[in-house]
Amino acid sequence: MADVTLYHWEPNANSGKPMLALAEKGVPFDSHYIDMLQFDQHKPEYLAVNPQGTIPAMIHGDRVLTESTAIMEYVDDAFPGPDLMPADPRDRWRVRWWMKFMDQWLGPSFSMIGWCTFVGPSLAHKPEEEREAMIARIPLPERRAAWRKAMFAEFSESELAESRRRIAQGVGMLEEELGKREFVASNQYSLADINIFNSTYMLPVGNADLCGPQITPNIWRWLKAVYRRPAVQQTWAMGSGRFTDRFNAIMGEFVA
Amino acid sequence: MTMLYHGEPNGPSLSVLAALYESGLAIETQPIDLLAGERHALPDVTDSAALDYAVEGEGPVLVVDGEAMSEAVFLAQYFDEATGGCGLQPSDPYARWQMLMWCRQATERLSPAVAYLGNLAWSQKRLAAMSPAEFDKLANTIVSEDQRKRWQDLRDDVVDAAKVEDSKTKVAQFAARVEAQLADGRAWLMGPFSIADLETFAWLRSMRELEADAFAGQARCLAWMARVEARPSVQKALARATADTPARAFAPGPEINRWG
Repeated sequence: MADVTLYHWEPNANSGKPMLALAEKGVPFDSHYIDMLQFDQHKPEYLAVNPQGTIPAMIHGDRVLTESTAIMEYVDDAFPGPDLMPADPRDRWRVRWWMKFMDQWLGPSFSMIGWCTFVGPSLAHKPEEEREAMIARIPLPERRAAWRKAMFAEFSESELAESRRRIAQGVGMLEEELGKREFVASNQYSLADINIFNSTYMLPVGNADLCGPQITPNIWRWLKAVYRRPAVQQTWAMGSGRFTDRFNAIMGEFVA
Repeated sequence: MTMLYHGEPNGPSLSVLAALYESGLAIETQPIDLLAGERHALPDVTDSAALDYAVEGEGPVLVVDGEAMSEAVFLAQYFDEATGGCGLQPSDPYARWQMLMWCRQATERLSPAVAYLGNLAWSQKRLAAMSPAEFDKLANTIVSEDQRKRWQDLRDDVVDAAKVEDSKTKVAQFAARVEAQLADGRAWLMGPFSIADLETFAWLRSMRELEADAFAGQARCLAWMARVEARPSVQKALARATADTPARAFAPGPEINRWG
């Protein structure tokens, strides 16, 4: 039994962050797959680990850690292995800045579109009473409101348009950033790359109008470099079919 | 060239100034009028991405070799790390995770709430009083579309009653959270003094006037606020004020969480 236990969904967005950070550091962990679409994260077994019912969560010894970006920083601090934060203070500031920009400004827009087009429709077949019962089990009010919107398709056109605007803006900013440096925020592979790759690897397919080898050559170079990393390959191999297949379909044919 | 541009010592400008003084770094500081949009017309900025798209909104800006750096908590970490460690962050990984989690709660829940209430109470009238030409000139310097809209909404006195109520609740919840954190008799939020104390204090300070009920019966929280305020670094930051009531100085701040 490993000293670390990780409760996670697919190697995608928030769940993928600690999975990938642990893989880069070479830290073995016991994997507990939480099926978000079956609402495993709101079942009593998981609420006993993380009462807020959010994924991922990590147990290290007798400590429980939550919030994906903060978990990554802990993983980098607490374990030996390659440094996933640069040494220079200004580079470190920039890593944090980009992670916050993704977590609070760009990421929620990706998430809203993803929940509208994938998560909500995945549950639409369930009877209304069952969906209501699922929502009632969610501990955090903000999460209850988000799930209600997704499950009952209550997104307004204006908020979806605003998310699409932010995605286009954010992709442009990322392209510019990767024109300045080899990786996001510094010339060293870091937590910022892990954070942002987890939410952008699908861009060439999901947003082919915004991202591709011709229109965003810097992002394209970076996606390929990250995709080739052994830790990334190892982490995506842990995904269930749909995500791993999508990942390989997007990147595999381009990175022979 | 390195220069810290800051607003009146309130919210993020207060916490960053105090963190700078805790660090002892010899960085030049210059006050600017955030509500006049001066943050968007700084000289010698060659890389403005972090200024234009600061999640924090109209906070202080550190310019180092032309690069604009923003976000109060990260600037405080920068000062700490630039000195090789001046006691603003714990060195133990778990204690550092706890501090970061606290600061995230402060920046994601408390600061948008305080900024929403503070701007409506104390900054709306000044923006509304600007002539259309004057306001348009200011608005045209704001690169981020959603940030510009928050300025426009404030000028137009667009008030969302649900957000007002939610913001009041969040301020009260945070004061109660501080009270609970101090229940074991500790002097500072994380045990040792840290960025969490500065960031939380800097946002709560103005609410003693506006949301006095939030502090009723929260004796430990009030005593802790007095302790933070008495620190030489905080006194020095407060002495940077050019207004009579710096705690009323607000400019459009962080967005209230729009999704998830």
